[in-house]
Amino acid sequence: MKTICPRCESPGVTQMHAGMENGQILWRVWHCKDCAYTWRDSEPAESIDPKVRPAWAQMKGVDIDSLRQVIPPARKPT
Amino acid sequence: MATEKTVSLSAEARAVAARVGSLRDFLDYLGEHEQCVTWPDAILPEPDIRNISVAAGNNVSTGPAVIFDKIRGYPGKRVAVNVHGSFGNLALLLGMSKTTPVRELFFEIIRRWGSDKPLLERVAPEKAPVNENRVDKNINLYDLLPLYRINANDGGFYIGKACVVSRDPLEPDNFGKQNVGIYRIQVMGPDTFTLLSIPAHDMGRQMLMAEQHGKPLKVSVMIGNHPAMPMFAATPVGYDESEFAYASQMMGAPLRLTTAVNGTDILADTEMVIEGELQLNQREVEGPFGEFPGSYSGVRKVPLFRVTSVSHRNNPIFENIYIGKGWTEHDTLIGLNTSAPIYAQLKKDFPEVAAVNALYQHGLTGIISVKNRFSGFAKSVAMRALGTPHGTMYLKNLILVDENVDPFDLNQVMWALSTRTRANDIIVIPNMPMVPIDPAAEVPGKGHRLIIDATSFMAPDNLGADPHLVDRPMGPEIDALMQRLNELQKGGA
Ligand SMILES: [Zn+2]
Repeated sequence: MKTICPRCESPGVTQMHAGMENGQILWRVWHCKDCAYTWRDSEPAESIDPKVRPAWAQMKGVDIDSLRQVIPPARKPT
Repeated sequence: MATEKTVSLSAEARAVAARVGSLRDFLDYLGEHEQCVTWPDAILPEPDIRNISVAAGNNVSTGPAVIFDKIRGYPGKRVAVNVHGSFGNLALLLGMSKTTPVRELFFEIIRRWGSDKPLLERVAPEKAPVNENRVDKNINLYDLLPLYRINANDGGFYIGKACVVSRDPLEPDNFGKQNVGIYRIQVMGPDTFTLLSIPAHDMGRQMLMAEQHGKPLKVSVMIGNHPAMPMFAATPVGYDESEFAYASQMMGAPLRLTTAVNGTDILADTEMVIEGELQLNQREVEGPFGEFPGSYSGVRKVPLFRVTSVSHRNNPIFENIYIGKGWTEHDTLIGLNTSAPIYAQLKKDFPEVAAVNALYQHGLTGIISVKNRFSGFAKSVAMRALGTPHGTMYLKNLILVDENVDPFDLNQVMWALSTRTRANDIIVIPNMPMVPIDPAAEVPGKGHRLIIDATSFMAPDNLGADPHLVDRPMGPEIDALMQRLNELQKGGA
């Protein structure tokens, strides 16, 4: 099954690290390039299952560009 | 600017100061006093580290620091939490007994307050323990650190207790304008992270300057520090004062500094230093993060840093903090150092002020004990407190009690509220500035202030006068008797 982001449900995710135990992969850490969510696939469902996560924490359909800036950039990034 | 003011320490405090030069030394010292536990079982990063951290912090008096060295999937890696999570641990750091009452810890901090003659030693970079290992290629923070999610709905894995050193981007050679502060850091790509600051804080100001002038902003993220560093780096000092100098003198022991690759000063004995550079005008999606008021901050765009190198000791310890719905280590770590400057600033104008307890949620609630100079005087003191630098943004609920009520003893505070407060002695000041993450704010950044005058009545006020007040035995004699009872309970003689 293709891994998707548990927060924005984007398929654009990258493996960051794999945790090893006795030469076997125990878990993987993933990062979403769209909403920047990071998770470990061994975490409880409340953090990594879109069906269990609270609705307020989901970002499917949220316009990333419209998020508030804490420190407004001085100019457009080059 | 730095002064020549020094602290005089008890023999015990001198011994602790001489012995503790790093986080490792302090963990050993805590262990000798039954205040540090190595968790014996294998655990998963989530939810185990979170749950055990909360359990350790629930005992505010003598909860232990906890070391994890059997983290599944992170063989050989270590995490330490709750190092400043109890008043017992803070008391040991100050060279006092771990059962010292909070009020006495407060007065010990006050006694040391304002002392900032630098006690700093220089170590050559090649001799600094932090440089035992260096990584400057293929940097992956998820591999170097046993990262984990602090609260279940955090947006990622946070480094919550690092002391971040940065030079002023316009005056990079000015030691005094070097800033050290604790800012929340969310690890992003394998070698990038966001660092949250606001324009009102030193780091936020430096980010704004760097981007306005197109100058580089280089930072060193110090993880696993001498215990005085996070405790006093969180204390507001003037922009041109050095947190290193301040922490060293408050601790009464030299801190060893060395120079990072990027030119910033770092603690030579720190566990790990991540050097990074601000990616000018680039932002990344950050949050939510379970913050100190006990609610999640929103998701926002926050400045992004790229890691240039990582240095670490052999077998480094990732020191982190549990923060969220109180009581947490965050409250213990900064509580006394939030209370002390408010006290010092009030005391200058109003010597009648006896003590200030602003331990609660970074001072969102504060209790001031003060001797009324005349009727209604306590309200004037409250107004002055709202005008202190910290009070301007944080002191939301203020309770004023008499000078003979210990503001650190909530049973005494409740007595004052029960027997001294009249409903028309409550003042609400609407639409005042407010720290943006207060969830009770009217709108983020604006809210109401509450002053409850629970002090005694005096002329010309003749309402509720109480001429027959019971003289309750209190003071050092009673404290000593309580300590004796405590020891007898534990089977002592
Ligand atoms: Zn996503």
